[in-house]
Amino acid sequence: MRCLALAAAVAACGSPPAPSSSHAIRFLHTFNPRETELFNTTIAERGLVVDASLVPFARGHQVITELLRGGKDCPDLIRIDATWLPGLVAAHLLRSPPENLANAGWSPIAKELSLAEGALWAVPQSIDGLVVVRLNGTPPVGPSVAELTGAAARAQLCGLAHPLGVRVDGYWMVPWLRAEGVELEPTQVESDGAVRALREFSSLFGSLAATPPSAGGEAPDELRRWNAHELAYWVTGPWQLADLRDRDQIEVSELAHAPRGGQLLVVPDCAPQPAAGWRLAQELTSEPVSLIFSDAFATIPTLEAAQGHATTLVQHTLAALAHAKRLPHTVVTPLLFDDLNPAVAAVIAGDATPEEAIAGVRRGWRRLEATK
Amino acid sequence: MKTKKSSLRWSVLIVLSLAAVVPTVVVGSLAISRARHDVEDEVQRGALAHIRALGAALDGTLQDARRTVDFAASQWADASGDRRSTQLLARRLRRDLTIVKTLSILSPEGALVSGDPIPGGFDIGSHSFGGYIGDAVFEKGHPEIHMVVQARGRTGELMGVFVATLDLAFVHDVIAAARLGPGAQVIVFDGRGVPVATSDPTGISATALSGDPVVDRALSSTVEGTLSQNGWVSAYRNLSSYQSLRGVRWAIIHRQPEAKAYALARRTTRDTLTIGIIALAIALALGAYFARRLTRPLADLARRADLIAAGMTPDEPPVKGPGEIGTLARSVDEMAKRIAERAELTSALARGDRLASVGVMSAQVAHEINNPLTTVLGYAKLMLEDKPADHPDRGALELIADEAERMKKIIGTLLEYSRAPRLSEPAFGSGASAGTSRPSVVIEHVGRLVLPQLKKVRAAFQTEVTTEVLISIEASQLQQVLVNLVQNAAQAFTHGGTIKVTAKAMPGGIATLITVSDDGPGIPVEARVKVFDPFYTTKAPGTGTGLGLAVCKHLVATAGGSIELVDGPNGRGVEFRVVIPNIA
Repeated sequence: MRCLALAAAVAACGSPPAPSSSHAIRFLHTFNPRETELFNTTIAERGLVVDASLVPFARGHQVITELLRGGKDCPDLIRIDATWLPGLVAAHLLRSPPENLANAGWSPIAKELSLAEGALWAVPQSIDGLVVVRLNGTPPVGPSVAELTGAAARAQLCGLAHPLGVRVDGYWMVPWLRAEGVELEPTQVESDGAVRALREFSSLFGSLAATPPSAGGEAPDELRRWNAHELAYWVTGPWQLADLRDRDQIEVSELAHAPRGGQLLVVPDCAPQPAAGWRLAQELTSEPVSLIFSDAFATIPTLEAAQGHATTLVQHTLAALAHAKRLPHTVVTPLLFDDLNPAVAAVIAGDATPEEAIAGVRRGWRRLEATK
Repeated sequence: MKTKKSSLRWSVLIVLSLAAVVPTVVVGSLAISRARHDVEDEVQRGALAHIRALGAALDGTLQDARRTVDFAASQWADASGDRRSTQLLARRLRRDLTIVKTLSILSPEGALVSGDPIPGGFDIGSHSFGGYIGDAVFEKGHPEIHMVVQARGRTGELMGVFVATLDLAFVHDVIAAARLGPGAQVIVFDGRGVPVATSDPTGISATALSGDPVVDRALSSTVEGTLSQNGWVSAYRNLSSYQSLRGVRWAIIHRQPEAKAYALARRTTRDTLTIGIIALAIALALGAYFARRLTRPLADLARRADLIAAGMTPDEPPVKGPGEIGTLARSVDEMAKRIAERAELTSALARGDRLASVGVMSAQVAHEINNPLTTVLGYAKLMLEDKPADHPDRGALELIADEAERMKKIIGTLLEYSRAPRLSEPAFGSGASAGTSRPSVVIEHVGRLVLPQLKKVRAAFQTEVTTEVLISIEASQLQQVLVNLVQNAAQAFTHGGTIKVTAKAMPGGIATLITVSDDGPGIPVEARVKVFDPFYTTKAPGTGTGLGLAVCKHLVATAGGSIELVDGPNGRGVEFRVVIPNIA
């Protein structure tokens, strides 16, 4: 009897406490619907009790910043876009990762995304950026935007009405800006290069690229046109590759000056269970789990070991992003698109000239600089 | 035996029961499970459809408001209007958009340009892709939301921000108009889990529902789903997928007590079970009835077999039944008949043995008597030779000689009766060997033998032979039997008649039935039991020895067969039925 009691006591001491909702890891994420379902399934299979809550990407930066500044109902782990990191670090809202995670064998590209103010503040979860996608029967294309538009023009001569796939978005215009020597920074928009870049970029629509549909319908329209083989060269990111037909016939190539980014996992300073948050981050970035996501959605893992086991398509995408350049790591970078996107849309819609639009952007970015 | 009969009935009943119960239980269980699953799925699908419709209604209203404010804001941004125009625009928006409670127009820096004041530190929509709808706020217990729309001009430049406070009473109106099931509730809540609207008028409060598994599930999901927990069936949908609510963390749930939500499923289950049990009971009752009906002939048959085995003749009529049971009953009766025939044959053999003993003794007696009788007859004839015709002793001597002659004839017959079968006697008939005969050949030969005698009495002779098998009786003995029977029949005729001899195979093929029938006067019933006894005769005194049929029976019995006397065909005359075993 005494032995039994002792055994029970040892067992009670040795086993971890049963998970309960009060000890659940609170996780705010920006996964899309399919990613959310896979996350829920994958985490449930691993026995982790996670109280996950969706933060729609469109408002993620704003909601997370407000939440962490308020300090109430603080989550243990948050999935953020890499461009949000400098702002959160500057506001002293994050914890730095423990040493075992900081030295977990991240690829240099992934580690670069997690750096802010010279230190590592996040665990990289995935890498993304813009690449050029084509079917393997389509002629290869050089990396520069000039070579891309030239190849698209040749494809147009072969009968495709609008062979180039680009989106009405400031993020997509970044290669054209950089080709003119303009980086996505408030001070650089003052140059004439920004106007030339916007003119060049907007001129694609209605000629090499199709006239864009109404806002919100671009992604499905692009997918439809690709699957209908109306596109010869499509500027897109890994997030779209999983939905493509004929994935085994896809060739991915580099786009010069393309932006590179990714998704990060951060633990806020106000997290009630920071260790639990980092444990979940470690699980999500582990080789098995990251490969599950990679296989399902063509996302690029961040551990070098996992990258070596990813599919050929993912490895080619990673290679195509090798020379891409991350967006400036500044507090205002994510906010710049608030003004750039409407300006790009206004020019493409014919409501404004590139000069007028860039002037408006210039004023908006000056205002941002002033309030920084 | 009784136990075995009962066991058979129970076995049949169990088989029938299993045949009824197992499929009924299996198919019934599957049907109930499937029906219940389908009904529950329908309930959940219905709840999801309900909240989709409510979400769409909510989305439609908010989208209208957003588009209207967005259009007004872009117009305002391009107009760079004066203060009066701005005030007019704000007034018209409040008037036309009934859900707009307050409207503020701010500069890009956040300063109030026109309209109602807003709380300090309000986010004017940076990095929100042109605006957003915020979480619910409670103003004096009344839920409201702020809708922020950036006013961008023709060039996309930010010229100001429109902030509208929307009264969420319309959400409650939308939900209240919905026809919910018994006990059902619909709750719309924001990203913090705070109810924005509910179908329960007393249910709105600023208290967050976080911790409720359905609310947590709805907020953590980007899609929809169902959850059954704690006695409630819940359907949830995250509203972030709706166009107007993109970027909003709202969700909507529909929940209903399981007992009420699945009432139809439970009623269906109960009704199906009831009907199933009744059907099963009927099936079992019918099974018992048919088991009894099926086994009753078998039980009767078993009882009949018991009686036969005990050597008794069943009084009950033969068992009748359909199909195999009828065949079995007929086979049992046939078997019983064969057994009876065997018993009779055995009895006849035993009787034949006794008669043989009598015959041997009679032969010995006859032999002993024959010599002195010969002497008596000889001397009687010698003395007659010496006496003249008118001698007074001559009459007595002639009587002695006649009677001695008659006694010699009797003794001769007795010796014939007791004579052992002459195995060396040649058989006639193709294929017949010693001790066997072929009835067709013997019958034909008999016909030729008796023809002159039959002509005298104007008797017709007919034969009908349908078998060609060999039977186990010496041909001469069979001939003696048949000649005897035919002659007996012919002697009974006074004005002619027909004598018919037939031969056919017995059922089972183990014996042959030979009949000799006539249409004469017949034999009285009381005499029939004695006709095979030695020295019994119905002929006039001095015309018969009474040994003919006794000899016939002896010969037949010696061959292992039987002979019997029955009424003639059509009730006229008599028929002798001789059964002789076939050669195997």
